[in-house]
Amino acid sequence: MDAPDTLSKLSISNDAREMLVRAREEGIETVWDRLAAQQPQCGYCSMGVSCRNCAMGPCRVDPFGEGPQQGVCGADADIIVARNLGRTVAAGASAHSDHGRDILEVFESLAAGETSGYEIRDEAKLLALAKEWGIEAGDRSINEVALDLAEAMFEDFGSRKDHVGFLDRLPEQRRKLFEELSITPRGIDRENVEMLHRTHMGVDNDYVNTSLHALRTGLSDGWGGSMIATELSDVMFGTPKPIKSRVNLGALRVECVNIALHGHNPLLSDVIVQAAHDPEMVALAREKGAESINLVGLCCTGNELQMRKGLPMAGNHLMQELVLLTGALDAMVVDYQCIMPAVTDVAKCFHTEIISTADKARFAGATHVPFDPKRGLEIGKQIVALGIEAYVNRNPDRVRIPAGTMDMMAGFSVEAILDALGGTPEPLVEAIRAGKIRGAVAVVGCNNPKIPQDHGHVTLTRRLIENDILVLVTGCAAVANGKAGQMLPESADMAGPGLSEVCKALGIPPVLHMGSCVDNTRILTLAAALANYLGVDISQLPLAGAAPEWYSEKAVSIGAYVVASGIFTVLGVQPPIFGSQNVVKLLAADLEEVVGARFAVEPDPEEAAKLICGHIEAKREALGLPFVATDAAPADKVA
Amino acid sequence: MANMQTVFINPERCIGCRQCEFACAVAHSRSKNPALALAEEPVPKSRIHVSPGWAYNTSVPSRCRHCNPAPCEQVCPTGAMARDSSHDLVLVDAHRCIACAMCAMVCPFDAVTFHAQADGMPTRVVATKCDGCIERLENGQEPACVEACKVDALVFGDLNTLIAADRLRVSDAMLAATTSKAPTGEPPASVSGWRVWGESAAHISEEI
Repeated sequence: MDAPDTLSKLSISNDAREMLVRAREEGIETVWDRLAAQQPQCGYCSMGVSCRNCAMGPCRVDPFGEGPQQGVCGADADIIVARNLGRTVAAGASAHSDHGRDILEVFESLAAGETSGYEIRDEAKLLALAKEWGIEAGDRSINEVALDLAEAMFEDFGSRKDHVGFLDRLPEQRRKLFEELSITPRGIDRENVEMLHRTHMGVDNDYVNTSLHALRTGLSDGWGGSMIATELSDVMFGTPKPIKSRVNLGALRVECVNIALHGHNPLLSDVIVQAAHDPEMVALAREKGAESINLVGLCCTGNELQMRKGLPMAGNHLMQELVLLTGALDAMVVDYQCIMPAVTDVAKCFHTEIISTADKARFAGATHVPFDPKRGLEIGKQIVALGIEAYVNRNPDRVRIPAGTMDMMAGFSVEAILDALGGTPEPLVEAIRAGKIRGAVAVVGCNNPKIPQDHGHVTLTRRLIENDILVLVTGCAAVANGKAGQMLPESADMAGPGLSEVCKALGIPPVLHMGSCVDNTRILTLAAALANYLGVDISQLPLAGAAPEWYSEKAVSIGAYVVASGIFTVLGVQPPIFGSQNVVKLLAADLEEVVGARFAVEPDPEEAAKLICGHIEAKREALGLPFVATDAAPADKVA
Repeated sequence: MANMQTVFINPERCIGCRQCEFACAVAHSRSKNPALALAEEPVPKSRIHVSPGWAYNTSVPSRCRHCNPAPCEQVCPTGAMARDSSHDLVLVDAHRCIACAMCAMVCPFDAVTFHAQADGMPTRVVATKCDGCIERLENGQEPACVEACKVDALVFGDLNTLIAADRLRVSDAMLAATTSKAPTGEPPASVSGWRVWGESAAHISEEI
């Protein structure tokens, strides 16, 4: 393809551009170079019409209709695309849910008094969860209650329940709909295993049936594994409250030992924060000539810490190689998910120590320090000490830290939003009724080098708030908006008059940081709470979702549970389904009649904003609220 | 040449799977076996090259056109580039090639590359390009790239027949442009829907 002729087309942020120039000067390969080297990418694969599920294959279907139209087994494009999509959702749901299980296991050990470095930091939330799950607290100790809750949540992963526990948060209409469609998520592991079973050759050969189970698999993530991860992380690490923070590569400090915490799981990173404040560790850093120990966040591990502790963020997904290019990062501590194998290669060009911590996520070229919650704090200190040792090897002549950081605000859990509203959704509902706020949109998901970095997130978000639509962000989208200066209380000036007025009255930004990518469940919880408050289904609310720069299987699972929960969702990157017009029609049109929501694909954020505004006004009209007629006709827009 | 059989390229059909490249490399290995070819030394190289197009989801396969007269043949100082009369193909005599790259300089299609030869020829680096799968043709097989291409981006046949078939597509488009008749030769919705995303994504980069 006609590659963008300047590096500035690859990212909209100056810190990224500065490091891209350095990468080019020094011949260091990054994700953008590897994407260019992969062009052209296989059309069978990107249309979803290749199948390698069995050894009669691999097979592919000619999308032009003249070559083979069926695999060896007889699967046509519809079956192959649905199989592939189903497996993608299962991989994403499995990643989130396995993260949830890891949190749950440590929670149980904590309750049993077997951990070091952990405590129950939000007892009120624990008791509220216990009540929600039908566990009597009585006059028992908090640990006894926690053990019962852990036991009940473990059951959600199994196959003996008829629905996962948090599904009771949904409006009754939606739960009944799931029953009618047979897509009630029963057990987290069960739905994932069943998807692998169904997509084995000779099992589910009806693309509609497979696609519906893909929704159910996604729901087992959203209302199951991810929700358990979010809720128990709040119990153990604190429920986020609005907090000031900063973002950019400028968060690195030349005078300090710099350690980046990268990945998704807050289990280890929380104890590393404790270890970095330990006087013994600070003294060691000073002894080696550093002023102190500076921790920065990357990706969702960073988001978890930013939400709860205001930890400054170095960046999102596509910054993970560029942060190494500063030459000022002494250690990158990784847990799992979205950590490019390339980081160890880039790190070789500098002194940076890559420290892997999860036995299920190992990296050639990294130092592995296996995480063990029983020795949490001790391991945290061991890792910080490795970072201090690496600092000694830093070459000051190789240090190039882009100047400055952008201030941003994080910490908007559902509890924090309700607090800001005075304890009830009433003021938000009234603002929506009056039309000051037209609706709310979740802008979430990853970075993808196929879209100029952060352009999709930032442009779409900006257009939505200009149109008085409240934006809720998580994951990479949160970092992007933070960098763009759209997440401060004074950013209300960027919003339309109605939203601006509400934000100023409450002292909140027009773009609310709701956490990491498992924390998209906070958005589900909020949507369900609003629907219950109004006595309507989620699909009737003026809500939408968008993943302008998604790349990962987890994002596909999120898309599945958001749409299945009744929320229209616009994807910026094309999913590999276009080889089957039937699957495209099902997901982008017919699902509307089934679950009251559907997908659209639109890479241009300006166009995506129009689609979403049109959708929000249509939902307002249907609810009998004041609405603005728009000429955008989302129902016709597929790609 | 009357009834000249050749590989004709239809870039609109190419979906970038690069299976032609893989099949070409295997066809020019010693073993001719995809599982074994990768372990051979030197590793066999493809002589057909799929290049990215102007946007995501566009691509173009390119190979030696076996021009006549062939610029490479005209400039080759050692006579290593020569025309084979039986199949009207321009072939490289690896024993004569001195790797001076004159052929590559004049090739209008950048179709000549330089590699050690994998299929029993001298192992030093010499000019490497499409040989029209002359070995396969003599066994009554199609060229390997054509066999691998399931979307008809590469088709083998009589040049004039293939061009005439393409003329039908062009005339259809001309008719559509000059009359109210809808074109019939458009790609199916699956492929056009897939390409639309690539075009839109390319457009975004222009805005930054």
